[in-house]
Amino acid sequence: MSFVCRNTALRRLRGNASSGFILFLLLLAPAGIAAQTFDTEKPIPILTGSAGAFSFVTSVQNLIDTQINPVLLVPLGDRWLIEARAEFEGEFQRPPDGGPYGGPVDKHVDYAQVDYIASPYLTITAGRFLTPFGIFNERLYPVWVRALQPDPLILPINTAPSDGAMFRGGFPVSAKANLNYAAYVSVASIGIDSVDSERHVGGRMGFFFPGPRLEVGGSWQRTLQDDRKNAFGFHLAWQPERAPLNLRSEFAHSFEGSGYWVEGTYRLSQAHFWQKALRRTEVVARLQQFYTGEIGPDDADSIGLPAADTREADFGVNYFFHNALKGIVSYGRLFSSAGNANQWSFGIAYRFVIPLGRVGAQP
Amino acid sequence: MKIHFQGMSLLLALLCALAFASPVSAGSPSNPKGATSNRNDGSAAAPVTHLTDAGSMRIAGEQRFRANCARCHAAPEKFPPRMMGTILRHMRVRATITAEDQRLILFYMTQ
Repeated sequence: MSFVCRNTALRRLRGNASSGFILFLLLLAPAGIAAQTFDTEKPIPILTGSAGAFSFVTSVQNLIDTQINPVLLVPLGDRWLIEARAEFEGEFQRPPDGGPYGGPVDKHVDYAQVDYIASPYLTITAGRFLTPFGIFNERLYPVWVRALQPDPLILPINTAPSDGAMFRGGFPVSAKANLNYAAYVSVASIGIDSVDSERHVGGRMGFFFPGPRLEVGGSWQRTLQDDRKNAFGFHLAWQPERAPLNLRSEFAHSFEGSGYWVEGTYRLSQAHFWQKALRRTEVVARLQQFYTGEIGPDDADSIGLPAADTREADFGVNYFFHNALKGIVSYGRLFSSAGNANQWSFGIAYRFVIPLGRVGAQP
Repeated sequence: MKIHFQGMSLLLALLCALAFASPVSAGSPSNPKGATSNRNDGSAAAPVTHLTDAGSMRIAGEQRFRANCARCHAAPEKFPPRMMGTILRHMRVRATITAEDQRLILFYMTQ
C-alpha cells in the first residue's frame, strides 16, 4: 500500500468521462467562442490548467508520474459558465525483473458542469462536479496548488464525483463574516462509461472571517443506495496576517474509515539572508492519521484508502521559479501495521492559461 | 412522508428566495475608473461596504485577494480584463467567494 496506489485508485474512482457530455461540451465551446463579440470587458473562453512531472520513490520502487490537467472555461452571457477538467496521466514503472519503464496512461474527465449564477446568494450547477466534501477535493487538488504532491490519506472518503445538481454560494452575513455553502444531490451516472458515481445527497457549510483569515466549516453526506450510510467532516483553514504561514486541516468520518490531516506551509520571505532565493521558497509539513472503518482491506484498497490504521508525516520544500512554475521535493514516513515505508517525491508543477479569444489590452 | 414533503417545500422556498434575492452580473469587470457602485453587480443586497473610488477599491481588492485567493495558491500575474473576468467567475463558483469580493478582486487584478 503506497501513496501511488492511493492516487491510482482515487483517479480510477473519479471515473471515465461521459462521452455524451464531452460531445456536448465540444459542441458548445465553439459556439460560446463565436458568440463572444469583441468587447474590451466581456469575458472570453480560456483554456487553463496544470501539468506536472514527478518521481515518487518508495522503499522498493520508483514511479514516474507525468500528467496534464486542462481546464476549459467558457463564459456565456453574464451569468453562465461552462467548465470542465480532464486528466491525462501516465504512471511509469520499471518492471520487477528489470527492463524499460512502462505503465498505463489514464484519461478521464474530473468534472464537466454548467453553472448559472442566479443571484449573489445562489449559483446552480448541473452535470458532473467535484463533490464538495471537505476542502481538499475542490480547492487544493491541482498539482500546482497543492503543497505536497502525495494525497492526504482521507481524500477518498466521500469525494467520488457527483452527477446531478448542486446549489452553492457565498455571501456576507455580517461585516466580519462570510458564509459559504453547497448542497448537492447525485442522482445517477451520466453516460455509458461512468460506472463509479453513486446516488448521494450532501452539503457543506463554512464561515470565513476575513479579518483573522480564518475559515471553519463542516460537511455531511448521505449515501442513497445500499446501506444508506452517513458521513461527516470538518475543515479549518487559517492564514495569519502577520506571518507567511498557511494552516489547513480536515477531519472526515465515514463507515469506510476516518481520519484527519493537519498541514502547514511557511514561505521564507521574512528571512534576512539569501533573500533572493528564500523568498521564493516554501517549507511544508503535514501530519495525518487514518483509522480503518467497517469495510475490509480489499474494499479499502479498491477505493484508495489504507488497508490498516496508518500514521504519516511528510515534510517538503517548494521553490517557485515564478508564480506558475514550482519545483517540489518532499519526504514522508508512513507507519502502519501493514508495514512502514519511506516516501520521497521530486518534480515540477506548471500552471498555464491560454486565451481562446481576443484579450484586448494588458493592464 | 408529511415531514419529508414539508422539508422539500421549505428547501424550494429557500432556493427561490436565494435565486431572486437580487439580480447579478457575474464576471464582467467593473468600470475601470471605479467611480460607481454598480447595483447590478450582485452586491447591492449584501451587507457590505460599497467602495466607490478607484483608490479604495484597489486597496480593498488587494486585501480581499490576499484573504481569499492566497489562502490556496500563489499569487498569479495579472491578466487582461477579458481573461480575468472568466477566471474570477470560475473562482467565484469554485471557492464560493462573495459577489462583492469578486467585484473588488477583479478590479484590483485588472488595474
